[in-house]
Formats: sequence, C-alpha cells, structure tokens
Amino acid sequence: MWRIWLLFDPRRALISLFTFLFVLALLIHFILLSTDRFNWLGGHAAPSAAAQHMSTLPAAPSQ
Amino acid sequence: MADERRGLSGLTENEAKEFHKIFVTSFIIFTVIAIIAHVLVWQWRPWL
Repeated sequence: MWRIWLLFDPRRALISLFTFLFVLALLIHFILLSTDRFNWLGGHAAPSAAAQHMSTLPAAPSQ
Repeated sequence: MADERRGLSGLTENEAKEFHKIFVTSFIIFTVIAIIAHVLVWQWRPWL
C-alpha cells in the first residue's frame, strides 16, 4: 500500500485531501444547520421523531 | 545513496514508507475522533 506514494506526490495528495475534507465538512455542517431537527444553535428544539415512536410503550399486563 | 530509486512522485521507497506510516497513523486518529463524534451525535438525536 505504501507504494501509492511512489505514484502520487504526498504534498499534492495531502492538500487535495484536506481541501476535500474541509469542503465536505463545511457542506455537511451547513446542511445540518438548515434543518430543524439537527440545528444545534438556538431555535426551537424539534421533537425527536424517534422519541414519539418510543413513547407508545405497551401497557403493563394486568394481573 | 545506495538505493536511490525514485517513483513518479520523486520519493524513494524509504521516504514513501516513512510517509505512509505517518499517513496511516493520522488516518486512524482522524477516524477514531470521527466515530466518537458520531456516537455523541447519535445519542443527542439519532437520525435513522
């Protein structure tokens, strides 16, 4: 696997990788901020869809 | 200067191995941090 660095210049590969990861991270963070459920800054806390499903617990069996 | 064979990138085999070691270590650290971050976010609000 290390032979890949004989083919690709590590400097270019690192700059490309960091640029790609940075843009991807920025994109994902902004997408999440644009949603109600996953916006972690201010705003109203959206009720969790999963919690709504889980709230209907089966009743305890009567004896 | 015994083994100075260089690949297309200009690195010798030893340089490539040395760089690869650092690269793999960094990748593992990055992945572990990412996994921890995802676990925390899943606990906050699961997305599936």
